[in-house]
Amino acid sequence: MTDPGNLTLAHNWFKQKGWKSFAFQEEAWEAYLRGYHGLVNAPTGSGKTYSLVIPILLEYLRERQSEVTSPRKRDLGLRAIWITPIKALAKEIGNSTQRAVDGLDIDWHVKLRTGDTSSAEREKMKKNPPEFMITTPESLQLMLAQKGYEKFFKNLRTVVCDEWHELMGSKRGVQMELALSRLKTICPKLKVWGISATIGNMDEALQALLGSSLKKKKYKVIKSDIRKFIEVESVLPDTVEKLPWAGHLGTNLIDKVIPIIQKSKSTLIFTNTRSFAEIWYQKLLDRSPDLAGIMAMHHGSISRELRDWVEDALHNEQLRAVVCTSSLDLGVDFRPVETIIQIGSPKGVARFMQRAGRSGHQPGALSKIYFVPTHSLELIEAAALRDAIANGIVEDRVPYLRSFDVLIQYLVTLAVSDGFKPDEIFSEVKGTFCYSSITQDEWSWLLNFISTGGAALTAYDEYRKVEIEEGFYKVTNRRIAMRHRLSIGTIVSDSSLQVKYVSGKYIGTIEEWFIARLNPGDVFWFAGRNLELVRIKDMVVQVRNTKKKAKAVPSWQGGRMPLSSQMSVVLRKKLHEITLKNFDHDIELRFLKPLMDLQKERSHLPTKNEFLIEYFKSTEGYHVLMYPFEGRAVHEGMAALLAHRISKITPITFSIAMNDYGFELLSDQEIPLYEALETDVLSADNLWQDIQASINSVEMARRRFRDIAAISGLVFKGYPGHQVKDRHLQSSSQLFFDVFNDYESHNLLLLQAYEEVMEFQLEEARMRNALLRINKQKFIVTEPDKPTPFAFPIMVDRLREKLSSEKLEDRVKRMQLQFD
Amino acid sequence: MLTSNYLIHLAGNVSEEVTLYNNTFLLCSEKAVLWKSEGVLLISDLHLGKVNHFRRSGIAVPHNPNDQNIERLITLLQEVQPDRVLFMGDLFHSHYNTEWEVFGQVLKCFPAISFELVMGNHDIMSDYQYQKHQLVMHKKPLEMGAFIMSHEPLEGVPEGCYNFAGHIHPGVHLRGKGRQGIKLPCFYFGKNQALLPAFGEFTGLYKIKPKVGDQVFVIVDGKVIKV
Repeated sequence: MTDPGNLTLAHNWFKQKGWKSFAFQEEAWEAYLRGYHGLVNAPTGSGKTYSLVIPILLEYLRERQSEVTSPRKRDLGLRAIWITPIKALAKEIGNSTQRAVDGLDIDWHVKLRTGDTSSAEREKMKKNPPEFMITTPESLQLMLAQKGYEKFFKNLRTVVCDEWHELMGSKRGVQMELALSRLKTICPKLKVWGISATIGNMDEALQALLGSSLKKKKYKVIKSDIRKFIEVESVLPDTVEKLPWAGHLGTNLIDKVIPIIQKSKSTLIFTNTRSFAEIWYQKLLDRSPDLAGIMAMHHGSISRELRDWVEDALHNEQLRAVVCTSSLDLGVDFRPVETIIQIGSPKGVARFMQRAGRSGHQPGALSKIYFVPTHSLELIEAAALRDAIANGIVEDRVPYLRSFDVLIQYLVTLAVSDGFKPDEIFSEVKGTFCYSSITQDEWSWLLNFISTGGAALTAYDEYRKVEIEEGFYKVTNRRIAMRHRLSIGTIVSDSSLQVKYVSGKYIGTIEEWFIARLNPGDVFWFAGRNLELVRIKDMVVQVRNTKKKAKAVPSWQGGRMPLSSQMSVVLRKKLHEITLKNFDHDIELRFLKPLMDLQKERSHLPTKNEFLIEYFKSTEGYHVLMYPFEGRAVHEGMAALLAHRISKITPITFSIAMNDYGFELLSDQEIPLYEALETDVLSADNLWQDIQASINSVEMARRRFRDIAAISGLVFKGYPGHQVKDRHLQSSSQLFFDVFNDYESHNLLLLQAYEEVMEFQLEEARMRNALLRINKQKFIVTEPDKPTPFAFPIMVDRLREKLSSEKLEDRVKRMQLQFD
Repeated sequence: MLTSNYLIHLAGNVSEEVTLYNNTFLLCSEKAVLWKSEGVLLISDLHLGKVNHFRRSGIAVPHNPNDQNIERLITLLQEVQPDRVLFMGDLFHSHYNTEWEVFGQVLKCFPAISFELVMGNHDIMSDYQYQKHQLVMHKKPLEMGAFIMSHEPLEGVPEGCYNFAGHIHPGVHLRGKGRQGIKLPCFYFGKNQALLPAFGEFTGLYKIKPKVGDQVFVIVDGKVIKV
C-alpha cells in the first residue's frame, strides 16, 4: 500500500526516541490518514494517545506540502479537539502531544481548556485558537454557546473522544453525541475518533460515538493485540476464623498489607469509597508511622491542587504509597507504580482490570494486584475475578437513551449562541444514537417547552426564554443567556459544599447530607487531617485544624456500587464449583472450605441448578433469606416485590435488607413462605405493575429528578464560587417534581425520571432475567437453627443502617461469638 | 394551656380546633386558620405570581398552581365568610406581574371583607399596588389582644402573649412502614408561638423539629390530622 501521509517522519521520530510502533498504532495512522472515522480499542498505558496524535499531525504536514504557497502561519485555526472526561488527564495528554509536535517540528500550539482555565485565557483562545485543544465535554458545550461558533470550528479536522467507555455511560457522553452531531454539519472535513478500553458492548460504543456517520460505512475499529497479563493474589489471614463473616473495612488485615507496601517501591491502595480511603489512610499511619510523609491520599473530594501534588509526587517517585478511590482509575500514567492493592470487592471486572493495569505500565508487562477481602465471602469474588479476567469477560456500559434534560440544555445552548433552525437541528439530533427514536411529537414538545414554557400561548403569558425570530430559535435576554452558560457545568456536580480553612484556603468538597449532621465544634476526619467545623456559610464549610480526635469520617453516597451482572454470572459459577468434589484450583475457595462446610451443615450449598431459601426464627422475628447473587440493586427491587406479593396472601409488614449476594425479609409474625412459593411469588409475570405497586417509585423518581432539573435548567444553584443572586428564583427540584407530577404528567422530563429509575436503579431488565433464571432452578428451602455464613452478612447490613461503623464492629464481634 | 378539641366538620373537610387563652382557632384543611370569635381568617405565604416570576425568567413551571391557589382562596372565602382576612406576609412572590390583577378581581367579589396584609420579606411591590386593591397594610407585627401576628416568627415573645407567624413553610416528615416516608405541610403550635403552613402551591416545605409538648397538625388529602 502506498504511504498515505508522511509515515516515515513518524517512524523516524519513534526510532529517534528508541520506541517501536505497535501494529494497532500503524493501523490507526493509516486509517486516519485515509479519512476514516473510527474507534481505537486499546488499554491504558499502551501508547493509545500516539495512535491518534501522530496522524492528526501528519495530516497537517500533508496538507502543508500539497499547497503551492504555504498558508500564513496563524490562519490555521482550531484543527483538533481532544476530549477527556477528567481534567487531571488533560495535562498528561498535553505533554505527550507537545512532545510529538516538537519532535515532528510542527508550528502548532497545544492548549488545555477546562473549567480551570481563566476567562482571560479563554478569551484569548476564542480570538486566537490553538491548533490542538484538549478539553472536556462541558467546555465544548460552552464553546457552542459562543457567538459565531461556526466560524470558530470551521477548520476543525477531528474530534477525539478519549476514554469513550467512561463517557458513554454518563450524560456527558450524551452531551458529546449532540456536540458531534452539530460539528459534523459545520465542519465537512470532520473525522470522529474514539479511544476506548474493552467493554462488553463495543458495538453500542461505536454507535453512540459515530451516530449517523455509521451509515456511510467509512469507519474502522482498531483493536490493539496488546495483552495485559494480570495476576491476582488474595491477601489471606492465617486462618479462616480470623476473617469476619461480615464487615466492610478489611482493616483487620492491615498487618498483612503493610509488608506489601514496604516491599514495593511504590504502591496504590484502591478503596471503593472515599470514606474507606480516609479510614485506611488513618489506620495505616497509626500502624506504620514511618509512612508519614511518604504516603498520601487521593480522592474526588480533595482539592485539585492537592491531587495534582499527589500525582506529581507519584511521577517523581517521591511517594511510597497512595490511598485512593476511583479518582485514580483513569488514564494518567504512573510508571513508577509497582504494586496495586484492592481493598474489598471492586464489584466489576472492568474496574478491577483497570486498577490492576495501573502497575506494570510497560506494554506486555505483568500487572500484579493484591486483593484484600473485607469479609469471608468476598474471597469467592477474588476467584471469580480471576476467572473473568482469564476468559476476557467485561461489563457493558449502558448508554443513556432519550435524555431529554441534556437535549433541552443543548437546544438552549444553541439558542444562546447563534440561534437555530428546528428542522436542521432535528435531523442532526435524530441522527444520534441517544435520540434515534425521538418522535416529531416529542420534538415539538421540547421546542414548546423552551419557547412557550410548555403551555399553550396565552396573551398574558410572560414566559421568556427562547424566542422565535424569522424561524430562528434564539435567546435574546442577556440574563437568561448568562444563567444558562453558568449552568452548563452542572452535569458533573452534585449537591456538595466546599471545605475551606477559615483563612480561605480550599481543601476539597464534601456532600451536604454529611455536613448537615455535624454541629460547629464537631471534629471530622477529611483529606487526611482532623478538622473542626467552625461554621457553614454561603455553601462553604469553614474549618480549622485541630488536635482533637475526629468523631466522624465523611462518607460519600456515590461509592455503593452494586455487583455488575457479568460479575454475578462468574460469581455463581464459582459457587457452583465449590459444590463440586474437586474445586481446589483456586486458593481462595480452598481457604474457604471450612466456612462452606459450615454453610452445608447448617443449611445447604446450592449448585447452579438450585435456588437456596432459608427460613428461620430468631429473637428478632421471622427471617426469610434468598440468594439470587444478582447485586444489591436487583435484590432491593426483588425483596420489595416479594414483600408486596406475600402481603397479598396475608397482611404482613417486613423490614428488608440486602447485599450483593442475597436479601432478607424480616417480620415479627410468621411468614407464609411455603404458601407463597406455591403461588409463584417469584414469577416474572406482571413484573412492571408489581414493581410500581411495591416500590415507592415516586420517591425514587423524585430523587432522580434532582439531576434532571439541574441539567435542563429548571433549578439554578449557582456555580462554584458564584452565588445565586436572584433569591426570588430559588427553588428545589422537589417543587418542580411535585408540580409536574400534579399537573403535567406528560412532561417528558418527568417521564424521563421514571424511566431512569427503571433502567438504572431497579435494573428492571436484569431483575426480569434473574426471575426467569430462578424459576428454572430447583427451590431448596432449609430451616437452619442458626444464621448461616450466607445469611450473616445480610443481617449485619440491616443493623448497619442504624449504627455507626465503630459500634457495629463491636456488635459484629459479639454476634459472631454467639454463633460459634 | 393548650387543648385540642374534637374533630368538627367544616366545608365538607375535616378540620381541628386549638384553644389558646380561651380563644378558639379552627385549623382549615385549606391551610388557613379561623379565629372564631373575631371572625378573622389567617392566611400565610400565598406567594402569588411565583409561577409567573419563574416563567418570566425562562423556567417552565406550569400555570396550574396559580389557578389552584385562586380557586382554593375563593372556596375558602365563600365557605368561611370571615369579617377580616389577615394575610400574614409573602402574599405576592416578587415584582409585579399580571397575577396581581387576577388576585385583585377576586378581592373585588368580596366587598364585605376587610383584607389586610402584614408585610413579609417577599412583599416588595410599591405601596400603590397594595392600595390599588384596597389592602390594609401593616408594616409592623399586628397586636390583637394577647396575640401578635407577624410574618417572620418573633424572637422572644413577650410574657403573656402568643405569636402567630408564617414565613417558615413548616412541614414534618412522617415515617411509614417499609422505610417509606412522606413530607407533609403542617400547623405547628409551640409554647408561645404558632407557625402557619404556606397557603400557596409551589412554595415548598421546611422540615421543622417539634419539641416535647408542642402540637403538630398535618394536612393530608383534605384533612387536618393531629400527629
